[in-house]
Amino acid sequence: MEKILRLPGRAFLNFLTYMGQLAALLANLGTAVRTGVWRLKLVAQQLVAIGYGSQVVVIVTGAFTGAVFTAQTYFKFKDFGVEAGVGAIVSVALCRELGPVLAGLMVAGRVGASMAADIGTMKVTEQIDALRVMAVHPVDYLVLPRFIAMLISMPFLVAESITFGLLASHCAAVYGFGIPQRWFWNHVFEHTNETDLFCGMFKGFVFGILITIISCHQGLAAENGAVGVGIGTTRAVVFSSLALLVVNFFLSILLNYIFPMGVAT
Amino acid sequence: MNDALQPSKDRVFIEVRDLTKKFGEQHVLRGVNLTVYRGETLVLIGPSGEGKTVLMKHFIGLLKPDAGSVVVDGVSVHRLRERQLSATRKKFGFLFQNAALFDAMTVAENVAFPLVESGVRDRAEIIKRVHDALEVVDLEEHKEKLPVNLSGGMRKRAGIARSVVANPQCVLYDEPTASLDPVVADVIDQLIMRLQHRFRVTSIVVTHDMKSVFKIANRVAMLKNGVIHFCGTPEELRNSPDADIQDFIEGRSHLQG
Ligand SMILES: Nc1ncnc2c1ncn2[C@@H]1O[C@H](COP(=O)(O)OP(=O)(O)O)[C@@H](O)[C@H]1O
Ligand SMILES: [Mg+2]
Repeated sequence: MEKILRLPGRAFLNFLTYMGQLAALLANLGTAVRTGVWRLKLVAQQLVAIGYGSQVVVIVTGAFTGAVFTAQTYFKFKDFGVEAGVGAIVSVALCRELGPVLAGLMVAGRVGASMAADIGTMKVTEQIDALRVMAVHPVDYLVLPRFIAMLISMPFLVAESITFGLLASHCAAVYGFGIPQRWFWNHVFEHTNETDLFCGMFKGFVFGILITIISCHQGLAAENGAVGVGIGTTRAVVFSSLALLVVNFFLSILLNYIFPMGVAT
Repeated sequence: MNDALQPSKDRVFIEVRDLTKKFGEQHVLRGVNLTVYRGETLVLIGPSGEGKTVLMKHFIGLLKPDAGSVVVDGVSVHRLRERQLSATRKKFGFLFQNAALFDAMTVAENVAFPLVESGVRDRAEIIKRVHDALEVVDLEEHKEKLPVNLSGGMRKRAGIARSVVANPQCVLYDEPTASLDPVVADVIDQLIMRLQHRFRVTSIVVTHDMKSVFKIANRVAMLKNGVIHFCGTPEELRNSPDADIQDFIEGRSHLQG
């Protein structure tokens, strides 16, 4: 009985410890930004791997989400006879929520996993210790380039996802359901503006930080050989996806407070 | 023995006092005391799993002691944080037991790494020094290969090249000749001796190869049961009346066959 009562306490303690470790990594990263060497070649490599390499995934996700959301909205809106307004709903949703969240989740799966696996493998094969021995801080060498590349890539990936979501929505609405092209885009531009796009890109920026910190931490903490790398990789994806969704909720509230929605221009 | 190798107080390079290290319940080091002098070759022997690797990792702050002190060149490394250790670590080359080459880089890139990171910018100089280091360990023709495509012995040799290429003051070798054939093992022994004679490099070598012990060692230390069980010259080792030491030298086990 006592054991059962202690369990939540233990879990809470573990959670605090974990948060502490993430904070320590973030602080270390801060030191790296200020004092470390910026290895631009590594940043470029990571930009290619993270930014360039994630485009297809993010575009396909954005496009099909845009299309399917358009279809579902159309069917319901038709009952009320306001089907021409599909563009408004779809573009607000894509800019503020669907674009950043789905792109973020896809990147968490693709990039978070590879960060944790790459760094974790280096950890368990003593390559991280080899860096340390040669007076190279692993955070400077491994985390910083990934972090910078992620901060640059994420806003653009989100913007791409939103753009292709809107294009797909356009195709579904105009060619699929026969909504006049002018009406569709009029509604889009009446109800969304650059502020909404900015909100989405800003979310992408924050998600980039989350994914990098959580995934690199799992890599650096990997232990017990290949098994440990597998566990770390899974955790990197699960933890960063969950964190992303939770943070997104609060971020939405905050952003809606600062940049209220529905101010037509 | 040549004069430079005579121990004296200002010639101390590494001073380990009462070093204690536990992993969970396992008490690996139980109060190690060891002094390493500048320019000497100290060979560390002892049964497998006794903590030789763990001890070496303390010299450069890869592991932190539970108690005791490690002073390198006047600096208390056990007190330093990760980022403060750089200066001390730059004095060392370290050969990992598994070589720990970077998977993502070719052999040549691995060997060039310490040079690039220590600030050598001249490409021609880097190429030349990498070439020379690889020539010594006879890997020049494999320099474009990735570590996964090398045999265990070749990886070890690449690791040796990487640990000596930046001309460190002290090189720590963790079983440099294990998994090498006898001829290449002799080449490595020659390399260790040449570095000592030409550049006064301090070497600490963990090995199980008794032939190499008597060839390269100025002093031998034996780690057993978590303490330095013996420390002295190779002659003293050979003439030691201690049964454990004689068994170790001769490779005798007490299992009844
Ligand atoms: N990071 C670690 N975590 C837990 N145990 C360890 C760790 N490193 C070494 N050990 C244990 O310490 C003991 C000594 O290991 P080691 O120094 O590698 O032995 P050796 O003398 O063969 O080099 C072994 O029993 C090993 O299992
Ligand atoms: Mg060992």
